[in-house]
Amino acid sequence: MSGSSFLRFLLRRVFLTLPLLLGVVFVTFMLVRIGGHDPVALLAGPTATGPQIEAITRELGLDQPLWKQFALYLAHLLQGDIGQSWVSGRPVLQEIGDRLPITAELLFWGIGFGALIGIPVGLRAAKDHGSLFDHVSRVVSLLGFSIPTYWLGLAALLIFFYLLGWAPPGMGRISLMAIPPPRITGSYLIDGLLTLNWEAARSAFAQLVLPVVCIAIVAAAPIIKQTRAIALEVWSSDYVRYAQASGLNSGMLRKLVLRNSLVPVTTFIGTEVTGLIGTTSLIEYVFAWGGVGQYGLNAIIQGDFSVVQGYVLTLALFSVIVFLIVDIAVMWLEPRAAMR
Amino acid sequence: MTMVVTSATPSRVERIVNRVIGVSRRSVVASIGVVILSAFALIAIFGPALVGVDPVHPYLDAILAPPSGRFWFGTDGNGMDVFSRVIYGTRFAFGIALPAVAVSLLIGVPIGLVCGYIGGTIDEITMRVMDAVRIFPTIILALAVVAAAGPSLINVVLVIGILDAPVFVRVVRAEVLALRSSTLVESAVAAGNPTWRILFVHLLPNAIQGATAQVAVRAAWAVRISATLAFLGVGIQPPTPEWGAMIRQGAELMSGGQWWVAVFPGCALILLVFGFNLLGDGLQDILDPRRKVSAR
Amino acid sequence: MSLLQVDNLHTHFVTRDRDNQVRTATALNGVSFALADGEVLGLVGETGAGKSLTATSIMGLLRPPARIVEGRISFGGRTLTDMPPDELNALRGNEIAIVVQSPKTSLDPLMRIGDQIVRVIQAHRRMERTEAYQRALKMLAAVGIPDPERRAQALPHELSGGMAQRVLIAMALINEPRLLVADEPTTGLDVTVQAQILDMLRRLVSEMGMASLVITHDLGIVAHYCDRVAVMFAGRIVEIGPTAAVFGNPAHPYTRALIGSAPENFSLAAGRPGRGEPPNLYALPPGCHYVDRCPLADSRCAQMPPLVSVSAGHEALCHKATVTTHG
Repeated sequence: MSGSSFLRFLLRRVFLTLPLLLGVVFVTFMLVRIGGHDPVALLAGPTATGPQIEAITRELGLDQPLWKQFALYLAHLLQGDIGQSWVSGRPVLQEIGDRLPITAELLFWGIGFGALIGIPVGLRAAKDHGSLFDHVSRVVSLLGFSIPTYWLGLAALLIFFYLLGWAPPGMGRISLMAIPPPRITGSYLIDGLLTLNWEAARSAFAQLVLPVVCIAIVAAAPIIKQTRAIALEVWSSDYVRYAQASGLNSGMLRKLVLRNSLVPVTTFIGTEVTGLIGTTSLIEYVFAWGGVGQYGLNAIIQGDFSVVQGYVLTLALFSVIVFLIVDIAVMWLEPRAAMR
Repeated sequence: MTMVVTSATPSRVERIVNRVIGVSRRSVVASIGVVILSAFALIAIFGPALVGVDPVHPYLDAILAPPSGRFWFGTDGNGMDVFSRVIYGTRFAFGIALPAVAVSLLIGVPIGLVCGYIGGTIDEITMRVMDAVRIFPTIILALAVVAAAGPSLINVVLVIGILDAPVFVRVVRAEVLALRSSTLVESAVAAGNPTWRILFVHLLPNAIQGATAQVAVRAAWAVRISATLAFLGVGIQPPTPEWGAMIRQGAELMSGGQWWVAVFPGCALILLVFGFNLLGDGLQDILDPRRKVSAR
Repeated sequence: MSLLQVDNLHTHFVTRDRDNQVRTATALNGVSFALADGEVLGLVGETGAGKSLTATSIMGLLRPPARIVEGRISFGGRTLTDMPPDELNALRGNEIAIVVQSPKTSLDPLMRIGDQIVRVIQAHRRMERTEAYQRALKMLAAVGIPDPERRAQALPHELSGGMAQRVLIAMALINEPRLLVADEPTTGLDVTVQAQILDMLRRLVSEMGMASLVITHDLGIVAHYCDRVAVMFAGRIVEIGPTAAVFGNPAHPYTRALIGSAPENFSLAAGRPGRGEPPNLYALPPGCHYVDRCPLADSRCAQMPPLVSVSAGHEALCHKATVTTHG
């Protein structure tokens, strides 16, 4: 695709997503007001007096008409002010920002390993369609669809920590006894390695294993299924048939199928990321990971509405960016897309 | 493998047996799913009567008792029999999942029919809205709404039902789009049928085929999400014997080694969801022309 | 000794229906013919007659539920039907090559066509990439592709139908096969392009001295390019012989119907010659398969029809076929 048309495409996409984001902002703005929750009462507490409540109401601007409130909210948002957590009192933007790399680390490794397991299994299942491997992998994949993530985390802790003593307790990202490394990337593992703090890096690694494995298992299930479906289509395509007719050996055929399956598989994984954020959040919750996921979940449960708004907005922004990346990747990698 | 039951003139029984074998051969997976689901359905209906132990009765002399001859699955922190609670929990699982899927169908199918057939602005707007919803993880969305609206059974069913509706909208819409220019529809239009009649009498039976497999998959998802919500403390509350709530209770006890409180309901949950998933996957195989054969 | 010998080939599709009953579609019912070195044999018939299936069976590319249940195929003295798959694979694209109907979808969509030809070379020969690439370029020129160096960098979707078909032919011929199977090589292409490609194909085939099996429903193509022709119906060859003999003096009622029904363009794509339905491969009549549509049918047709030698090298599967003393 030429440079200028690519730029136009990009601008067009960004332009189209703006109303979407605006809608999301509006929904999060209204979110607090569902179910009759009173933001003032939440902030003021049960012992607040009348005048105190009035003061808070004025301060939050809640005595203004709704559209003015929304405009105010939007204005604050664009300045980077999403309000404060009434649990911790600190600004939401900063709290979320601090925790983003923590969640990103889990997501990255989890999806990475999920794909590393899932794609080869799916490819092999398609190639040996109807074989024992195919059936077993299919059952395993469906099982992966059926296991609740949090339960998997709990069971993993039970077996590997309590019973076998191999894994550390599921309490955060680093052992309480190790000194966390200075923050460069936000990942204890990477920062530990970068600063040659082997103790911290080792502990961070040990803490990472179980949560990452749990996410990877749950991520692998749909990847196996979809890779298999895609690869099956590729195997029964005209060009694979013709490649067989040309006498290409099985190694060449496998490479051919792999290359032609890769793009649809990657786009699929892109669409799965949204769901995996939910999964990661639950894992964070079980393992007390301290990332955005756990933060957001707790905020929702506790009704810390500024945080909820910030969390929801972050999710929306993240998803939109991921979808955009996927679309761009497709445009770039699929020469045939230009023809369709 | 020769599993053909034949005789010169097959009797009625033989024909039925052959039909069952023939259909289940189409998908072994779906058949196993049906078996599992039937087992659970039986448990849901007859289990509580057979168990005879009150699921909310606290046996104060046996708090946190491990599995034994007396308490097959042990007791929880309140002294309640886990086995009995798991059995009763089956009713809740079905009781949430089935209505939720029904809600999804009731909302999703008509919208899908209308969008596919009429198209235009309604279609555009609906698609945009559904795309917008898609950027959120379902769990988070469900959690946020239920937490805000209040953890009641009705809310949970409604929220799950609404969140799953887009799947049916998409499936039905796709079918309708394909059928819109078919002779079936053309002749119905030519015969002067009003639009609503075309939609519901002519298109619906054909469009619903693709949705059938999704019903099982969505049911699996509904069971999962409702348990997740309960696990997070939003949704069904204890002492109601719901599996997610039970896992929540048992979570804290896991690291102390009292595994039975959370593990057994978890296994039941996995098995039921697995059954639905098997059925859904098998149905997809049968109903979709996905009968691909690979290279040898 | 003939290059390709097909003896009594039976290919069936075996499935189970909803009532767990076995259903067998008998798609090929005793196909027999021989092909000599350098000979061009045309295989004609209506859709469903089993032409492509014959080619697929010969190449060993059948997929379940299709199976060869009986018969023997030998190539250059070696038996293909009980050859291990690896050996068979070594023959494909090498000594036996095929050109198929839909060129644009048969090429790897993600690989440049020059590289694809090189891949076919390297699948069967030990050759350096540069040398193989040069060969590919020469072949592209030979099949009539202008500016081969530039075209070789193209991806399949950038080519026109005719161009893609030429590429496919180049791929098939690159390893100098002894037998070329051309399955509807020009269907779907422009009429002018069709003639060009067929002429090119004929020239190369005779230059390289290879035998060719041309599958088509277009009688005109057979008349122009084939030495001999075999007419298929419902999985059997009902008539076979030198093209001039078969077209000039058709002995089987079906052949007569074919030729009679397509006077101008000699094409069977449109209609079904003779009255009646396409044969039901699940329940073919026991004797002659053509009996339901044949104007000359009588009680003897309930038995397997004899192979009558009409004249030199010209045979027909019909008891009503008349013997002529000269073709």
